[in-house]
Amino acid sequence: MTKLLRLAGLAVVLVVSLLFAVFVGDQGPWYFAWVIGTVMIILISGAGAIMLDAQSSLSADGDI
Amino acid sequence: MEFINPDVVDLSRFQFALTALYHFMFVPLTLGLTFMLAAMETVYVVTGRQIYKDMTQFWGKLFGINFAIGVATGITMEFEFGTNWSMYSHFFGDMFGTPLAIEGLMAFFMESTFVGLMFFGWDRLSKQAHLAVTYLVALGSNLSALWILIANAGMNMPEGAHFDPETMRMQFESFVDLVFNPDAQAKFVHTSVAGYVSAAMFVMGISAFYLLRGQHRQFAARSFRMAALFGIISTVAVITLGDVLGRLDYEKQPTKIAAIEGLWHTSNPPFEPWIVAALPDDARQENHYEIGVPLVLTPLITHTFDQPITGMHELEDEAGPRIRSGIDAVAALRRYGVTHSSTDLAQFTAHEQDMGYGLLATRHAPGQDVTAIPADQIDDVVKATQPDILPNVFVTFWSFRLMVFLSLWFFALFAISAYLSLKRRLERSRLLLKLCMWSIPLPILATEFGWITAEAGRQPWTVFGWLPTFLSASSHGVSYMVFSLVGFVLLYSVFIAAELYLMFKFARLGPDHDSMEPHTPAAPRVSAFDMRPMAS
Repeated sequence: MTKLLRLAGLAVVLVVSLLFAVFVGDQGPWYFAWVIGTVMIILISGAGAIMLDAQSSLSADGDI
Repeated sequence: MEFINPDVVDLSRFQFALTALYHFMFVPLTLGLTFMLAAMETVYVVTGRQIYKDMTQFWGKLFGINFAIGVATGITMEFEFGTNWSMYSHFFGDMFGTPLAIEGLMAFFMESTFVGLMFFGWDRLSKQAHLAVTYLVALGSNLSALWILIANAGMNMPEGAHFDPETMRMQFESFVDLVFNPDAQAKFVHTSVAGYVSAAMFVMGISAFYLLRGQHRQFAARSFRMAALFGIISTVAVITLGDVLGRLDYEKQPTKIAAIEGLWHTSNPPFEPWIVAALPDDARQENHYEIGVPLVLTPLITHTFDQPITGMHELEDEAGPRIRSGIDAVAALRRYGVTHSSTDLAQFTAHEQDMGYGLLATRHAPGQDVTAIPADQIDDVVKATQPDILPNVFVTFWSFRLMVFLSLWFFALFAISAYLSLKRRLERSRLLLKLCMWSIPLPILATEFGWITAEAGRQPWTVFGWLPTFLSASSHGVSYMVFSLVGFVLLYSVFIAAELYLMFKFARLGPDHDSMEPHTPAAPRVSAFDMRPMAS
């Protein structure tokens, strides 16, 4: 039941996101770009940190 | 009777510029650090590694200092519109007040509520709930900026409003037009992302300080890596949106773009050079010591190779008929206020779009009354008013260039920093680390130059094309303005001193606990009151 509710919640988020993309993408392209761009910046900077963790675990030279 | 006191207008402008620039020393960090905290906490929730929680908490503490002082300096500005700019508030209050009210009720309440949960909710909320709170703080602070910039965009490109001759003010027409104003969109993203750049430089610079001292190395390396990547993408976005704003100015505010480019005569596409440096002379209306790069200006501004950019002399010429028509509009409006006749209304409507230009002639009219200009003096008044349509070219030209040069510096610094961080060669590049550290205040400075470009370039208008700045101020005395100005300078200087003291103090102290550093037990403290024999 919990999984079903979680799936339904994610489906609602997906639909809202699509509606947001269609409406705001048309009326306010730069607002839409800000949302997408901010998410991208967060994900890339976070991925960079995780990559550093991986680099540190693979190498024992202690370089930063 | 003359009712415009130029000293009061200048002091009102100076006071607002000073308080706005003070306030904006704090805003970019708030806008950017919140999303950087969200990024760090996201990694903490995904990986479960303690170091990312330490990072979120440490940078969050510095964010908290900045946030508190930023809020304090922002509140006074909202009151200034009423106290110092009452004519403007009457004329444009509908349009300006609505987004400001939404900002207070929605965005500011949102960020203020959740910021408490963010600081004090670590032990009370689940990891996921706390992460959601951090995102809501980030969203709230940026939504706050959004509504302010929507209000500002309304002043630069008034859309969604019309002038009502019954109430003698701009009336709100369309909320959608107000919110989706192209200037609001581009300016919001440009400003918000400039905040990301400021925050990234702040985190990167302090991390560089730790790396130079060999302190908190793992903590600093991760903070540096995240900031460098955050910063490089943000800088590209800032430059892109700056280009969008330039294009909008070309279409809607030709005087601003001509002043930014120091373009006194209409450009000669495609060869017109982009002036890298010059000394614009506002009095003689020419540039001295120009250094330019040919073939750059036309594609840079128009995105074509064949469209000309109108120069300031030609814009002055084009303004002549509009000033004349505007004088007719003001005269018809004055008559309509008395007669309410359809003939006067029709005459006003025919010249309505030029009303602002008629008001601009007020300073040169006998007794500051454009309806009292004798027919044989109209040409002289129009001629005297024409140069008034231009902003201060020297200030606009150089503030823009300093902003651009700084943004190119950020691009280079973030790109090299990200590369060396990814290659894990940071600690071997001590010069780069020092440059990162000394560059901490530069993005804040660049945003200040950006605001000076935008606001000085909008002159002589508070509402572009509709309301001249010199007609927008309240009718205070000079002594009142000087007294309040001195008060603001003293108070805000204390705020800045407090911010700098606390920032330096906590940045030097570093994170409370560093989960990645080897633990060295502290030496046992020996109290002067401890009477037990040490040897036992």
